[in-house]
Amino acid sequence: MSDPVVVAGAVDPSEYPRKVLFVAGAGRSGTSTMAGLMQILGLHVPKPEVAADATNPKGFSEPQWVVDHHDRLLKEAVVQVSDSRPEAWFETGRISTRESERIATATWLDGHFDVSPELVVKDPRLSWFLALWRVAAIRSGATPVFATMLRPPAEVVGSKQTYYANKLGSAHLAASWLNMLLHTERGTRESVADGGRVFVRYADLLDDWTKTTMQVGEQLQLQHVLHANSEQIRDGHRFVDPSLRRMTQSLDDLGLPTRLHELTAETWNELNKLAEPGGDTVEAHATLDQLREAYTDLYAESEAISRSSVVAAEQVLRKQGKSGGGAGGPEPAPAHAADKVPHGLRAAVPAPVRRGLRKMAGKERR
Amino acid sequence: MTAHAGTTGIRNLEGHAEFDITWPWARPVGLRAGSTAVLRVKDEAPSLPFVLPPLLRSMDHVLVVDNGSTDGTPEIVTETARAAGFADKLTLTSYPFQVARAGAEHLAVHELSVHSLSYFYNWCFAQVGTRYSFKWDGDMVLTTEGETSLGDLAWQVGGVQSIIRVPRHGLYLDGTSHGYLDLGLRNAEEWGFPIGPDFVFTKAFEWEVRTTPASVRSIGLPHGLCVELKYLDGDEFAHWTDPASFATSYRNKRKRREWAVFNALQEGTVLPGVHEIHAPDGMHIVDHVTREWLPRAPRPLEVGTVVASDDQR
Repeated sequence: MSDPVVVAGAVDPSEYPRKVLFVAGAGRSGTSTMAGLMQILGLHVPKPEVAADATNPKGFSEPQWVVDHHDRLLKEAVVQVSDSRPEAWFETGRISTRESERIATATWLDGHFDVSPELVVKDPRLSWFLALWRVAAIRSGATPVFATMLRPPAEVVGSKQTYYANKLGSAHLAASWLNMLLHTERGTRESVADGGRVFVRYADLLDDWTKTTMQVGEQLQLQHVLHANSEQIRDGHRFVDPSLRRMTQSLDDLGLPTRLHELTAETWNELNKLAEPGGDTVEAHATLDQLREAYTDLYAESEAISRSSVVAAEQVLRKQGKSGGGAGGPEPAPAHAADKVPHGLRAAVPAPVRRGLRKMAGKERR
Repeated sequence: MTAHAGTTGIRNLEGHAEFDITWPWARPVGLRAGSTAVLRVKDEAPSLPFVLPPLLRSMDHVLVVDNGSTDGTPEIVTETARAAGFADKLTLTSYPFQVARAGAEHLAVHELSVHSLSYFYNWCFAQVGTRYSFKWDGDMVLTTEGETSLGDLAWQVGGVQSIIRVPRHGLYLDGTSHGYLDLGLRNAEEWGFPIGPDFVFTKAFEWEVRTTPASVRSIGLPHGLCVELKYLDGDEFAHWTDPASFATSYRNKRKRREWAVFNALQEGTVLPGVHEIHAPDGMHIVDHVTREWLPRAPRPLEVGTVVASDDQR
């Protein structure tokens, strides 16, 4: 990549106002493509980054610290990355009010402005902690801006099932998508500290990334995008691969319960409006508020109906706990539980998932 | 007796049927998602232009109940919301009865009287239509971080039965560009509560208290997100029966601290923990403290060790 061409009278990039772009949305929605493009156009992804792997051969553009930070906070909040509980937002919000976490997040963010005044932070877990990052930006004297990626929910669910060997079922994944997107929309609505937000369809980004990223740059006033040079644009063309969007499932293919199907379809339609020029309106927010309320009601009903399953699971755990506390003690976990899994199957599990499983089992590789 | 004995509402002792209380959760329309800030105000015209805009931005709704103001407070409320572009989020109403002042006067009034602080509060919160509420004072101003923090919690809380505590710090105003911020007191009162039968108001010794289930979650925001305006040229203790009302009890530690700081400043003494602050030219001291001074103060904020009684949970 060649050096940026210096234009007489142009503002020195180091003089750009501090800004941080948060790329939010469900995983497998094109967040890596968006963050990667922003990185190519000059925004800084704090180092070190998560290494590329088979699930994302072009790289994640994710700061490793952010991933680790979010993993720890989610664990403390007892919230999963794909979590369909509306109440989970309060659990992560609660963690985000802690002064110690605010200090840690703001200190980390502030340090990276020494490298560049425009940063991009992306992680599939990010939506859970937007409030925390907004505070970190305020404390760093930076303006937070938000880009939420939109991809048809059937494709997201299909992609997650394929790439993450997800065994939780399409209904759970679709509900988690709904919970994530409906609340991410709510969480990125205009606040006094913000510099704006955009919703970007993954399909639009792959179809014509130059048009789409320029719209993002103009709307969020990202100086590096507005002043990108020719070589950066060439790199962008080398980076974007329209074949990245491999999933073409429709919602009908998922076989969702009727009400969940309807809510997912309606939500997708409404979110699409936000991606249209001038579509981020009070009327659209009101409709999304109704959908969020409807989803919350549906979840509460489902939770009430399935209470017996929760009670049974609690009893099983209690029973296991009691038997574990007896003379024989708990049944020891195999030294390497993974050893019981055939090698071929182990190899098929994507690296980030393997790392996660190792972490959960306390078998992290140093 | 507790005021919340009625399942659908309560009637006042005086027989003012138009001010009987119907609990909002008992109404046919039920409660909608979101949070409402409830302000009971009396002669708060100078403070409300600072107080209302951040609240209107962060809440789904703001309910202002005027209680006999004579300084044009209702007009200021309406104009401030209109100027901020949030007239649709505001409900302004009026409670016409004289309410007992905190302290001995309050103690002497029955909680089902329209003159009782508890009855007043129950009536105010019965006008709320959302599932969550924030009790708010007409002199409490959010900082930028406070506004975003409260704005996020306002929707995140959903139907969770949790109390939210918000620390606040006295900001003593000496004109429009000079003031004193008291960080000598740790004070985080419970401001956020769900709307429901477990969380209604009843009578305590000096003032009202909100009921809670025996076991309830409570979370607190960090310090440095909210200031409480005090006017050095005003009568900051008019809503108390007399200073003797808060002279002794541990419950009144905050009020005694305010009394001490206020009187020391009147005599030209700045007590430990109090910061003298000058605003830059052209900027109001309240804006300077809430948008610049506090947001940029090093964290964790150095806050004194005097702990108010409500900061115990």
